[in-house]
Amino acid sequence: MVTCTCTGCALLCEDIDVIIENNRVKEVKNACRRGAARIRGCVNRLEPSVNKKQADIDTSIKKAAEILKNARSPMLFGWGNSTCEAQVKGIELAKRLNAIIDDNSSFCQGLLIERILKKKFRTCSLEDIRNRADVLIYWGSDAQDSQPRHLSRFSYFPRGEHRQHGYEEDRTAAVIDVRESSTAKICKGHFYRIPTGGDRELILALMDALSGKVPKYDKRVLELAGIMKKAECGAIFAGIGLTYSIKDDPDILVALADKLPNFNIMPMVGHYNMRGFNENLFKETGFVNRIRFEGRPVHNDGYAVVEALRQKSIDALLVIGSDPLSSLPGSIVSHLADIPVICIDPCVTLTSRIAAVTIPCAVSGVESGGSAVRMDGRVVELPGIIENNHLSDQEIMTGLMEAL
Amino acid sequence: MGIDIGKFLKNPEYEIKITTYRDIFQAEALERDRFGEEYRKLSAAIMMSKNDMKRMGFKPGDRVKLTNDNGSIVVELRESKREEPGGVAFMVNSPWSNALVSGDTGGRGIPEFKNISAMISLAKEEVTTIERLIIVR
Ligand code: SF4
Repeated sequence: MVTCTCTGCALLCEDIDVIIENNRVKEVKNACRRGAARIRGCVNRLEPSVNKKQADIDTSIKKAAEILKNARSPMLFGWGNSTCEAQVKGIELAKRLNAIIDDNSSFCQGLLIERILKKKFRTCSLEDIRNRADVLIYWGSDAQDSQPRHLSRFSYFPRGEHRQHGYEEDRTAAVIDVRESSTAKICKGHFYRIPTGGDRELILALMDALSGKVPKYDKRVLELAGIMKKAECGAIFAGIGLTYSIKDDPDILVALADKLPNFNIMPMVGHYNMRGFNENLFKETGFVNRIRFEGRPVHNDGYAVVEALRQKSIDALLVIGSDPLSSLPGSIVSHLADIPVICIDPCVTLTSRIAAVTIPCAVSGVESGGSAVRMDGRVVELPGIIENNHLSDQEIMTGLMEAL
Repeated sequence: MGIDIGKFLKNPEYEIKITTYRDIFQAEALERDRFGEEYRKLSAAIMMSKNDMKRMGFKPGDRVKLTNDNGSIVVELRESKREEPGGVAFMVNSPWSNALVSGDTGGRGIPEFKNISAMISLAKEEVTTIERLIIVR
């Protein structure tokens, strides 16, 4: 039996025991069902190809380099499922090509992570949550389905250092959502349903209630404000439900956080190393995504993958560890039919099916190692646990640079 | 002017609001095989409250067509097992729900993945396959 780190979500659980037989995963212990499925692997492994014909991996990498070199406006996109080492190499590659680089956070949690890195929010570690948190607000976040061990390992159920009575007495968890989610079912009695897009209105009502004004809102907001006021150590786990809803004015959440001195804000991240990419690019450029290197890094919303595809402003796309054909609006992905797409992934995806070049890679955390940044900012090591012949993302990036 | 009979044969359409969510069983199926039957079953579906279904004359298991300016898909209708006041229907985030999402983001780059308006009607066609969603228009 070996211990590995799960890359199924940004909790990066490090307590996963795996039984390996004949170089294959036989049994996965401690992981949630999503993590176990990731570690067991997909049924359709990707094969290297050029123009839909099977090729060897070196030919694929060479062809990919040629496409990128010949493009006037290439984009490198994905990164949330790559190690930090591969991301750093990817940023180097973007510099070398004067390319646009963007990641999934561009249409996900980038707005909040940027504010965390700029220190606009108070935040804390997941261990702090486990040891000290007494009020937990899942807002637009269904952790039970998206970061499935969040409640059991860190927030609600554990008997933390100063919370020995766990959820029975020491902790209160509330859910704010448009839907009675799985997490809401656990937090019975503290589920606050809002209409789609109603987050801003609730934030304003809470701010009124916290300042002693009478909010023009459902009376239950006073109860919620009361719970939050009494917190010794509170946390708002901000899901994409909340982020999408306040995307036009994310600073409204900063304003609420300012009224809650005992609270921490934690964006709930899906892809295991999305935060890693945001931190790596931030270190290099001062921005978390949507960058074009033109001798110097330039940030522009036009460099968001969604905008670039809609405006048809890129002429080649390298996708790594992401499936834009699956995760972006169907109405904008038609541009992918007109430009060469390079797809790097362990598995066959919708995007790989239309790609001009496919480059299979190892599953990070299982077949290759490295490091990644957990949703709270802690760096976690990923030991590779299975010997195999696949190149890691990092090695593929190195190969591309050499081929250039 | 003759009577347009086709108009009367057409299934009645209703406006609905759809929001998307995540489901661990679907996420598990995605990890294993995004082209598989399980992933399709868990993705190509829409959940509605009992009341909404009754109001529109639908029943669980019906195939429904969802259409808006961005696309058109056929999915299976299910009754929500959660307590729902109605007025909003739910889909697990997937290429099926994304087929209905507008690419217009007001220049901000974040689409309305969770705030979709569409028309719903009974469908004669089969449920949209994932292959159909790959064909890049
Ligand atoms: S909670 Fe996330 S990291 Fe932990 S086992 Fe599940 S998928 Fe893996």
